[in-house]
This record gives sequence, structure tokens and C-alpha cells, in this order.
Amino acid sequence: MSWIKRSIRPEQLRELSLVALIIVALLIFGTQIENFLSARTFNRIASSVAIVGVVAVGQTLVVLTRNIDLSVGSIVGFSAYFVGMQLNGNPELPPLVAVLLACGVGALLGLVNGVLVAYGRVPSIITTLGTLAIFRMILVNYSDAKTVTTDMVPPWVPGLAQETLVSFGEFNVRPMVAVAIAVVLVFQLVLVYTQFGRRLYAIGSNPEAARFVGLPGRRIVLLAFVICGALAGLAGFMFLSRFGNITVVAGQGLELQSVAAVVVGGVNTFGGSGSVVGALLGAFLIDLLGQGLIRWLGISEFWRDAILGLLILLAVASDAVILNWLRRLWAPNELKTRTPSEAAPTPKESSHGV
Amino acid sequence: MTASTLPPPTLEMRAISKRFGSTQALDGVGLTLYPGEIHALLGENGAGKSTLIKIMTGVHQPDTGAILLDGSPVKIGSTIAAQGHGIAAIYQEPMMYPDLNVAENIFITHAGRGPFVRWRQMQREAEAILKQLDVQLDVRQPARGLTVATQQTVEIARALSLKVRVLIMDEPTAALSAHEVAQLFTLARRLREQGVAILFISHRMEEVFSIADRVTIFRDGRLISSAPRADVTPESAIRAMAGRTVEQLFPRSKTVTDELLVSVRGLGKAGAFEGVSFELHKGEVLGFAGLVGARRTDVGLALFGIEPADSGELLIDGVAHRVRDPNQAMSLGIAYVSEDRRALGLSLPMSITANITLPTLRRYLSALGLIRGRAEAVDAEQFRKRLAIRASSVEVEVSKLSGGNQQKVMLSKWLNTRPRLLILDEPTRGIDVGAKAEVHQMIDDLAAQGLAIIMISSDLPEVLAMSDRVLVMREGRQMGIFSRGEATQERVLGAAMGQEALA
Repeated sequence: MSWIKRSIRPEQLRELSLVALIIVALLIFGTQIENFLSARTFNRIASSVAIVGVVAVGQTLVVLTRNIDLSVGSIVGFSAYFVGMQLNGNPELPPLVAVLLACGVGALLGLVNGVLVAYGRVPSIITTLGTLAIFRMILVNYSDAKTVTTDMVPPWVPGLAQETLVSFGEFNVRPMVAVAIAVVLVFQLVLVYTQFGRRLYAIGSNPEAARFVGLPGRRIVLLAFVICGALAGLAGFMFLSRFGNITVVAGQGLELQSVAAVVVGGVNTFGGSGSVVGALLGAFLIDLLGQGLIRWLGISEFWRDAILGLLILLAVASDAVILNWLRRLWAPNELKTRTPSEAAPTPKESSHGV
Repeated sequence: MTASTLPPPTLEMRAISKRFGSTQALDGVGLTLYPGEIHALLGENGAGKSTLIKIMTGVHQPDTGAILLDGSPVKIGSTIAAQGHGIAAIYQEPMMYPDLNVAENIFITHAGRGPFVRWRQMQREAEAILKQLDVQLDVRQPARGLTVATQQTVEIARALSLKVRVLIMDEPTAALSAHEVAQLFTLARRLREQGVAILFISHRMEEVFSIADRVTIFRDGRLISSAPRADVTPESAIRAMAGRTVEQLFPRSKTVTDELLVSVRGLGKAGAFEGVSFELHKGEVLGFAGLVGARRTDVGLALFGIEPADSGELLIDGVAHRVRDPNQAMSLGIAYVSEDRRALGLSLPMSITANITLPTLRRYLSALGLIRGRAEAVDAEQFRKRLAIRASSVEVEVSKLSGGNQQKVMLSKWLNTRPRLLILDEPTRGIDVGAKAEVHQMIDDLAAQGLAIIMISSDLPEVLAMSDRVLVMREGRQMGIFSRGEATQERVLGAAMGQEALA
């Protein structure tokens, strides 16, 4: 047992428990549902997790800074529609330009959020609740309630979603899945190995201390929102490629799904801790449970949102209670170094005076 | 008032003791409050005044001792119980509900008035109470926007509405203008006439001696003296407050060099402090002494650029600089270790390493702009050894460390910026005796390495023991600088309380 304790850090407990949960879910669904453990199931889960996962990565950056972005669903919808229309008008547009266009539009909308939150000092939950509605409204106006359909865009766009990069048996790695994995890996590296990543954690865990070491707090928060927007834009392109039909409600619900993935994935909603790998695992678990329960119990699609809500609450509760308990179990050494006199409450009087 | 005419006391505290961890906050103190008396309580930082007030208002329970109200023993189990006994307190910062109006603020603590608010009646009663105090105030006006003085009046009215018998005024004048102080004193005297016992706490000697009937002095959690005002002079009071027992004087080495590093001339910031001037040599420890509210921290924050100064000048190596932000201060070799580790200093969920390297992360970037984790860990490990940080590894979350070890991480973080001027704000607050001695040793070592150190501390014996010179501040003004030889407890305390005669 002790070698396990030594090789696993308490911070990784959340990711590991997610992996364990995923395995348990797979075992249960695999034995209870006929043909559940098939390539088809995984192809389906992978394609939908790819989109939520990319959005959740951006959401993670924002949540790390003690903020939240509720407008990501609207950004996904807007960029999907916008790029769809551009491709319709200009079918010769190179694929890379189309993707960059999607990211750029998303980044621009993220910039609006970021400026309002970081420089306008409006709480992010209010700001992005507002822009959620406003971005959607702009989409409705801009689209004139028309729909982008598959035959309006060049054939390579929907084709991309069907292509296969590599196959493992019947499981096909779609380009979108590869993109999502790449995004997660890149941002995991960014968080761990770059100054920007470290600063995100620092700002989120203690904004005042960050100010005292001269970190540009506002710029960092702004950047987090811009990146979140850009990733939502990228997800918008993936959305366009996967579904082809873009209506004015495209992307709706992704805000809830991404926040759920982030919270279930162990990112602290008070900022300062968590990882994008966790968020991806969270997104995967949520989708797996959704797919599994629908097929196993035959529950309706509407239950999916309820499951989401339940998972969020469970994750928050487990954060508060179970993880704390686990951590204490894990790291008795650190607690022992605390001398009894230091553990006792410090009298304010002794130093503060009257 | 002579002894023969003294009415029976309203409140009597007998042989109260209270211990927090290793600190004996109160050691068998007694205090007797008579009706119609203004009783001043004096004591240096840490003398035990706050603890006594918290026991009187039910925030803390005494370990031993008895509290007698009208001669019969009572237990003050909570703040509600204290209110029930007619014991109320007002503080420097009034506790107001800014969006409620004056009448609501007065009656906010009242329970048992039924589930519905009877507006008309409440307003009438509020007006009656304010009239009793002879105060003109619209009770329908929201508390937001009232001056501190007016808010205190509302607090006094609140106390009166609870049939106050003992009113504690804890440094009520610190934020008031001279005119407002006079008005507050008029109110206090009016309450005295109505038979209320008032416990008055202030660091301003002239106020104490203008209003108090009796003066009690605490020191180190003990009762030193309690006498009618006529028997006390400001000089004798300060002498009694000073003379704190010193557990052990830290033996400072001789580290001062004659290389001048910092000159500060007439530094000031509107609304905070003014006219701060000093020189600081390499290897010198300059203590900043003063009572709470002396604005010493503001000077530190100004030097570090968090709250930049707006007048005066700062010269480093003879070159004038205007420090506008912490980055600039750091590049000038200034580091500021704040007093509040948890709120201002450390990122608790992050590792020891990440905390230590945060201000200087740039140093650990590779050519590709990636953090070199190995290099970080090596430096952090060095600090762990050098400062004897007790943790199993430098990857441990800072939240898991004890206060003393957190303080060492804070110090490491700032020492890692390789400062030349180190500002330490209350470096030993809230850490145990052992850790304190280690911090003192470290300060001495750092000075020996040629660092110039400013040490802000409210622990007078500590300042005197550690400093080569002591700068004393009072309410934003510099009262004087004493050499190590001149700086006695009495002199420093006298200056901190505005008694020029003793200084």
C-alpha cells in the first residue's frame, strides 16, 4: 500500500477517482447492456466529447481564475453559423483559414467578456449571463432566422467529421477527436510548464498575493476569457463539421455541459486548482453516463440534463467532504509536523492589541 | 467620587484568566465598573484589553474567574447573552447595515418584536432614543453615507435601545475629527449622567485624561494599577504600561555598515501618513514601532509600490526613484513580506516550490519559455534547508504547513527575489515562541549579509531587541528615531502615544 501512497500525489486523486468511476460505469453498462462495449458506442461518445471537451478546456482556464463563462454555448453557435455562412459565400476558403476564422470570431467575443470582467469589474457570472443572451441575439439577427444546411457548405466540411485518421479495430479516430486530444495536451502543458499557466493558478488561489508579487491580474483574466472564446470558436467549427445544420439554437446547453465537465473534473470553483485532463475526464464520464443510462434504463433524453445537475452537485459535495478526508488520510506526515501550540487558535490580542 | 459615596458596582470582573495556546492573554485580572463612571483602560499592544472586552461581550469564555453583575455571578455565554445583560460595545469601525435606515439599524438586534415590522412604532421609538441623546437625525435615512461619527451615534442609540448598563467604547475616536470627538464625549457624559458604566479605550492620552474618572492599566495580561484619574499622570501611566517583561533579549550582532543604501525624505500619502524621513544603511535593522493605527504598514506599502506615496522622495544608492508598482520595487531590490500570510502572502493550494518561485518565475524559464521544474525545485529545496521549513518535500501544499513554516515560505519567496531592502511587516505575528526565535535569528543573519531591513512590529520588546534604530510613528506622523541605546520601552511608548515630554 505504501508504494502506492508514495507514487500518487494527493492532487491526482481526483483524476484517478474519475478514471475509477469511468471503469466502474463501463463494467456496469458493459454487463447490463447488449453491445454496449462496441466501437460504435465509443465513436459516438468520442465525437460528442470532442466538442464539449474543447469548450471545457477553455472553461477550465476561466474557472481557475475564479470566474465562469456562461456564454460559451452562444459563442459556439455564433462561430458555427458565421463560418458556415462565410464558407457558403466563399467555398474556395482554405480549411485552415476557416478554422482560424472560427477561432478569431470566438476570441473576439471572449475579448468582450474579458474586458467587461477584468476592466469593467462586473462579476463574470453576470457579465457572461448577459453576453450569453446578447451573442445569441446577434446570431438571431445576423442569421435572419435562416439555417445553414449541409449542402450550403463545401463538402469537405461535413466530410471532415466522417474521416478516419487511424483505426483501432472498428474504433475510428476522427480528426475532431484528434483535435480535442491535442487541445487538451497543449493546454495541460501550458498550465504546468508556462508562466501564464502558473499565473492562472496564482491569481485564482489568492488574487491579493498575486497583486503583491506584481502579477498583471487583469491581463491574465482577460487572456483567459479570450482563449476560452477562441476555443469555443474552434468548437463552433467542429460543431458545423459534425452536424452540418446550424440553426439559431446551435450550441445551446454547452455552457451547462462545459461547467459540469469542469466541476466533475475536479477544477475548484473557487479557483486555483484543477487540470484540463480532469475536465476532459469529467466530460467523458458525463457523456458515458448519459449514453449508458439512456440505453440501459430507457430513460428519455430530458433526463440527461437532470443527470448533469446531479453530477455537479455530487462533485461539489465530494469536493467538500470526501476529498478532504482522503487527503488527510493520504498525507499524515505533513499534519504531524504541526506542533500542538501552533495548531491552537492564535490569539489576536497577543499581537493585535487594542 | 469618594469611596464612601460609591454606589454598588454594575459589573465586576474577578480574577479573570484566559489562555490561547501558548499565550497567557489574561492572567487573573480584575476590573470593576461603577454606574455613572467613565473608566479608561490603558495598555500597550497585547496587554490583554481586547481579550477582556471579548469576554465581557460573550465572544470568549474565561478559563477561570467570575463575572458579577449587580453583585450576582453571571455567565456571559454569547453576544446575545451580553446584550441581555445590558452590555454593549462600539468600535472604531461601526457595524452598520448600510441599506437599512437609521431606525432599522437601531432595532436590528432586537428579538421578540413579533414577526412583522411595525414601522410607525419603530420610528417613534428610534426618535425618542435619539432625543434622549439630544441628537438630530432623520431616522428614515439609510445608514449608507452617514459619517463614522454619526454611525457611532446610531450604535450608541442601538445600545441604549437595549437598556445598556455597561457601554464599552473601543478606540471610538481613532477615525474622528477633533470636533466629532468633542461631540462623542458629550454623548458619553450624557450617558454617564444616566448611570451607564462606560469602559473607554483609547491610545490618546489627552482624551483619556480629559474624560475618564478612573484609569486602569494592563500590561502583559496583568492588572498593573487602577486608580482615580487625579492620582495618575500621563507620565506615570506610560511608565506603568512600559516595562514589559522580556522573555529573553535577542543578542543582535553588530551588522551595521556605513554604506548608505536608502534615504527617504518627507515621504507622504494623503489620508495615510506624512513627513516620514529616515536613512538606512546596509546591514541595518530599522524598527518601525507604534500602536495599532500608527500607519506603519502604509509606509511599507508605499515603499513597495502597492499604494504609492504621493509626496517626498526615495533614494536608493543616491538615485531618486518614484516607486509606482511592485514590479518596479522588486527591480530596485525591495521586497515586502506582508503581515497577513493567508490573505496577502501565500497561494495556499499551491506547492512550496510554486510559492517561492512565483515572483521570480522568469528566472526559471527555458529558452522555449517553459518552466524548468528541476531548477525551481533545487532553489526551493535550498530554502527549505536554509530556513528549516518543516515539510516532507517542497511539493507539499502550503495550506498543510503550520503558521511558523508558512511564514518561512513567505520569507523564502521574498528572499528569492534577492532583495537589498527587506521590509518585514509583523514577521512574528501569530507564530509560536520557537519559530519566533528562528525568525529573529534569520533577521540577524540577513542583516549580517548586508541586507537593509525595515521591521514593522507591534511587539515592543521585539522591536527594541532586534533594531539598530527605532522609528516611532503615531497616527501617520513620524514621532522620532531612537538609537538602540536611547530606545527604552518608556521612551518609545511615550512617543507612540504622543507624549513629547518623555521622548
